[in-house]
Amino acid sequence: MLSRRHLDHAGDEHGIDLAPMLDFVLNLLIFFIITTSFVREAGVSVSRPEAVTATQEADGNILIAIRPNGEIWMDRRQVDLREVRPLIERMHVERPEDSVIVIADKAANSGLLAQVMDEVALGGIQEVAIGAGSTAGQ
Amino acid sequence: MRRHFDTTDSTGIDLAPMLDFVLNLLIFFIITAVFVKEVGVDVARHGGASGGPASAKETGSISVVVKRSGEVLVDNRAVDVRAVRANVERLHAQKPDWGVMVTAEQTAPTGLLVAVIDQVRQGGVENVSFGTSSR
Repeated sequence: MLSRRHLDHAGDEHGIDLAPMLDFVLNLLIFFIITTSFVREAGVSVSRPEAVTATQEADGNILIAIRPNGEIWMDRRQVDLREVRPLIERMHVERPEDSVIVIADKAANSGLLAQVMDEVALGGIQEVAIGAGSTAGQ
Repeated sequence: MRRHFDTTDSTGIDLAPMLDFVLNLLIFFIITAVFVKEVGVDVARHGGASGGPASAKETGSISVVVKRSGEVLVDNRAVDVRAVRANVERLHAQKPDWGVMVTAEQTAPTGLLVAVIDQVRQGGVENVSFGTSSR
């Protein structure tokens, strides 16, 4: 009687062996955890200037967008120029290896671009690039 | 009898809740993953509040000015945007250790500025710095 119960019980639970699937899923999970780059998107689309010599920025995870009307967007919200520095300081503490890409609209003033880049540098991140669309190979 | 007891031992831990949890984590990371890599142009700053690098000034540099009207001056001579590359190449050949300082007027459009920086980089100069004039 006891052995009968054990047979039924064990037979039911062992219909599918979950171990290989679990291995596979765990590997996938680890892959995605490692490759997630935690990009802080700006939150608006701008028509970016084009450059042949544009290169991929390895750690360009903080994006700041400047719209033609002078609005500055970062981290999916509109910010004031004076807010950029403390925000950058905080992000720099959280992830020190991140660099900044300032995506300015084609029609935005370069004076404002310079001011934003200054604020980023004052916030502690020296690696600042100007975002551009790559036209290489066209 | 003995063998059956062994089987029960191997099913001692129920994996199903752990599997649920791991699958949820997996879905979360797949959804939040951003696979876009940004492209950009690396530029240093000179002047301004952050106090740009003085190295360019020490060795001297080729001056490129971008005006708000769309004019571009290379070495104080007005040239077309597409001719910046040739001019920079020529000046770079004369002074190989000089960098290029691109100075834009405050209201000059960024598109033109980036086009000029792009031309300078195509001309073979990687040491480009960018500043603005007070006007």
